[in-house]
Amino acid sequence: MSNFRRSQNEAHPNKTNTLMTAIIVLLILFVGIQIWFLFGALNNALQDNIYFALTTFIGSFLLALASFWLLRYLPDPLKKSQKKGNNQKETNKKE
Amino acid sequence: MAEKELHHRPEKIPSWKSDFPIEEEQATHVGRREFAKFLGLLSGTLALGNGVIVIKALAFPAKPLEGEHFVCNADEVAVGKMFQFEIEGSKIIPYILIHLEENEWRAFEQKCTHLTCAVRYREDLGKIECPCHHGFFSADTGEVLQGPPPRPLPRLEVVVRDGKVYVREEQQEQTV
Ligand code: FES
Repeated sequence: MSNFRRSQNEAHPNKTNTLMTAIIVLLILFVGIQIWFLFGALNNALQDNIYFALTTFIGSFLLALASFWLLRYLPDPLKKSQKKGNNQKETNKKE
Repeated sequence: MAEKELHHRPEKIPSWKSDFPIEEEQATHVGRREFAKFLGLLSGTLALGNGVIVIKALAFPAKPLEGEHFVCNADEVAVGKMFQFEIEGSKIIPYILIHLEENEWRAFEQKCTHLTCAVRYREDLGKIECPCHHGFFSADTGEVLQGPPPRPLPRLEVVVRDGKVYVREEQQEQTV
């Protein structure tokens, strides 16, 4: 039967797309900042700048945690049975 | 009722679809999920790499050179010439000794701070040159004059005693 999730999905069919794009853009942003940190730390470690290395490590670690946490919000893959019109009823029941 | 039937009427499935029973939408969807997970993995790896730098800096701090090291006899190196030598510590580090003027000696690490090419003293220019990407260092202080190197050349203090040349770690108050 119709429920909140289903009506939401029907009203906004592009939602998973948008969500996926947003997550990927955020992840790329995080990874970009981390690469920047790593590059800076490598350059500074040669000069024995331990504080810079430590600060970038903490930052990088937090960004990695944020990335893992973001992965929780990945939308589920589309259900296989949805492709057949026949199974529509059953699929909706399952959801 | 009629509307409902219209909604649930099975579509005619082209025969190629049964040969390749993968929907395009589904395939791209999984791809993006995997891509996102891969980005997460990459993020973790980068954090790990940053951690390795910290651990390395904490566990193996760069040791200053201990004591004086004999290089060569003072009369072996004419004014304006350079002499290559190595000092064996935890690893072998190449250095150059430069006889700038009468009683003016300099010693620098030979590894360019850009990509560790071997630098050499150019007598005609009075500068230290890195031939790889045309970086130039001051022969007097080791500072970068030109080119890509990001840091000055590490420097050693030179002591001449009884016609023999020794090098030692620079005293802190003398560093510029
Ligand atoms: S390695 Fe010396 S300038 Fe690039």
